[in-house]
Amino acid sequence: MIRLLGMLASVAKKEVRQTVRDKRMMMLLIVAPLIQLFVFGNAVNLDVDHVPTVIVDQDLSHESRQHVARLLADGTLEEIARTHDTEAAEHMLVTGDAAVVLVIPPGFGDDVARRRTARVQAILDGSDPNRANVAAAAIATYFAGESQRVQRERGVALASTQGFAAHIPDVVVDSRVLFNPTLDTAVYMVPGVAAMLLLLITTIVTAMGLAREREVGTLEQILVTPVPAAMLIFGKVLPFAIVGLIDFGIALVVGSTVFDMPLHGSMPLLICATLLYLMTTLGIGLLISTYSSSQQQAFLGGFLFMLPAALLSGIMTPIRSMPSWLQPFTMLNPLRHYAEILRASLLRGAGLTDLITPMSILAVMGAVIFTYASLRFRAVTMK
Amino acid sequence: MTDHVIEVRDLRKEFGAFVAVRDVSFHVERGEIFGYLGANGAGKSTTIRMLCGLMAPSGGAATVAGHDVGRDPMKVKSSIGYMSQKFSLYRDLVAEHNLEFFGGIYGLRGKTLSRAIDAAVERTGLAPHRKAMTGSLPGGIRQRLALACSILHSPEIVFLDEPTAGVDPAARRDFWRLIRELSSAGTTVFVTTHYMDEAEYCARIGLMVDGALVALDTPRHLKEKYVPGVTLAVSGRDLHRAIAAAAALPGVIAAEPFGARVHVRFEEGRVDEAAVRALFSREGRVDRVETIEASLEDVFLAVVGAGEKKEDAA
Repeated sequence: MIRLLGMLASVAKKEVRQTVRDKRMMMLLIVAPLIQLFVFGNAVNLDVDHVPTVIVDQDLSHESRQHVARLLADGTLEEIARTHDTEAAEHMLVTGDAAVVLVIPPGFGDDVARRRTARVQAILDGSDPNRANVAAAAIATYFAGESQRVQRERGVALASTQGFAAHIPDVVVDSRVLFNPTLDTAVYMVPGVAAMLLLLITTIVTAMGLAREREVGTLEQILVTPVPAAMLIFGKVLPFAIVGLIDFGIALVVGSTVFDMPLHGSMPLLICATLLYLMTTLGIGLLISTYSSSQQQAFLGGFLFMLPAALLSGIMTPIRSMPSWLQPFTMLNPLRHYAEILRASLLRGAGLTDLITPMSILAVMGAVIFTYASLRFRAVTMK
Repeated sequence: MTDHVIEVRDLRKEFGAFVAVRDVSFHVERGEIFGYLGANGAGKSTTIRMLCGLMAPSGGAATVAGHDVGRDPMKVKSSIGYMSQKFSLYRDLVAEHNLEFFGGIYGLRGKTLSRAIDAAVERTGLAPHRKAMTGSLPGGIRQRLALACSILHSPEIVFLDEPTAGVDPAARRDFWRLIRELSSAGTTVFVTTHYMDEAEYCARIGLMVDGALVALDTPRHLKEKYVPGVTLAVSGRDLHRAIAAAAALPGVIAAEPFGARVHVRFEEGRVDEAAVRALFSREGRVDRVETIEASLEDVFLAVVGAGEKKEDAA
């Protein structure tokens, strides 16, 4: 046993020595994750506000001015130009300068004053569906609120002249957002980005590391020694698992200090989940290496796995909005489960009992992948 | 009773329909330098890989240091050292760290490891290069480092698969001095090579042709068997005119130009030096006639040629 641990330590020590000497590798392991964290945290912003809007006020009444001012007040829409020319305004949609054209036709103020149905027109740029939806919803909500107010006032007036109590049924939605009250995307993105970073580092580094040993011929020299395949594999991945944990810590610190991400969950739970997750990512790296005879192949293989894994993880886009036939496949994606655990634990303070399902899935997946990859590694190298 | 440190019986390896090694049997005695010769693709490396426990045999059996290679590859690996034709140490580690790593995965650690490293460094004369980056070392020194890495755990047998390929002559000579020292200290050396002058250093030689072991003996016996007779080297001027006449002489096996000289090989007793000198003097001028020993290259060509003829007949 001590002999085996000694072998493992020798492999790990050698791996650290090679990595520390390799400046590019050090960059990939420590600096690149930091940059990505900042870039993703800031740039991937799903919040929609300041939507550039052209106001075409053909009415120019007191009412039209008042309504436009109140509509713009909440910040979703931002006025970038005001014109009378509908065609010029629509051209701004084509050039991309504006995303919304709000047309208030002549007679709007008059209709409002005479209690007739008034109309406004919103022309939206649908090339960004999410932004168009949010803008349309903001306009619709505002005017729905306004008509309700007008109706209520009319009811009260009617009641006082007719002499009976006004009774107008009314539903008021009072929404309160828990866990991320400002609905800040960065807080939501940082745990996901951390999960992707761990995948990138551990999978690609493991795949390339073993492919390199094979390419250079050192793997054969190792295979004539009595070191068991398991000790070789564990020794090689151990340093990167530790680097992975360090990167994870960095992500938490940056997330909480720079992006105000809450750190609710329990640390032992998070570390446990991370170790389970690392078992799957390192296992996949090992598996990719058994299919690659060169470092380039291993790198490509790593990316072929990374891209769909990131897209089908629910980190960038919600899984519920994926086509229904595709959704079951996301269950096979370790990234999905780990991102789910991170978000639930960090943002909502979920505990082990709440997360038992994704945790067990990760554990089973890790054991299966790692065992299969190790067996394949042995079969491929021993022929 | 002799001590057979390697015992091979009917060893066979097939890759699909291709038979890489066909039913090879031989043994290697403790402490001897055993040479394994053959053209590229003759099955040398496949045999070595099976003996090192890197590859399971398709048939037959082999024991190395008393362990069966098919059943007990781990025990085999613990008792052997292996150095391949391809340089396979880490170029991005200093020499000493390569030694530490390979010693470590052979199960050495602490004091035992550092003593083994010191001893191997001493033996291979690597002391001035201990702290040098492996990738920056010249080829000859790298080969010595590779050898040092494979003998750290004091193996009973060292397998060297074309250890001197691509190394300059002086470094090759140094390397062979090391091999002979290893052997006289009791380590068995199993070596493959392309260089026939190196093969002369081996106690016994096995010759492989197309996966089969076709000859196995000491260099001297191989020469007697495959290149029999006496060979005379004749030097002088205008000798080529007499070659045909020399070849036709009763008792002459072969008469061939060899560089500026002519080699005449004949059965002992049926022709003599005076007769050869007289024959060549008729057509040109003979300066010198000397007896030369057949080389292993001649043996190799004779054996491989025989193999090819057999194939043509079949």
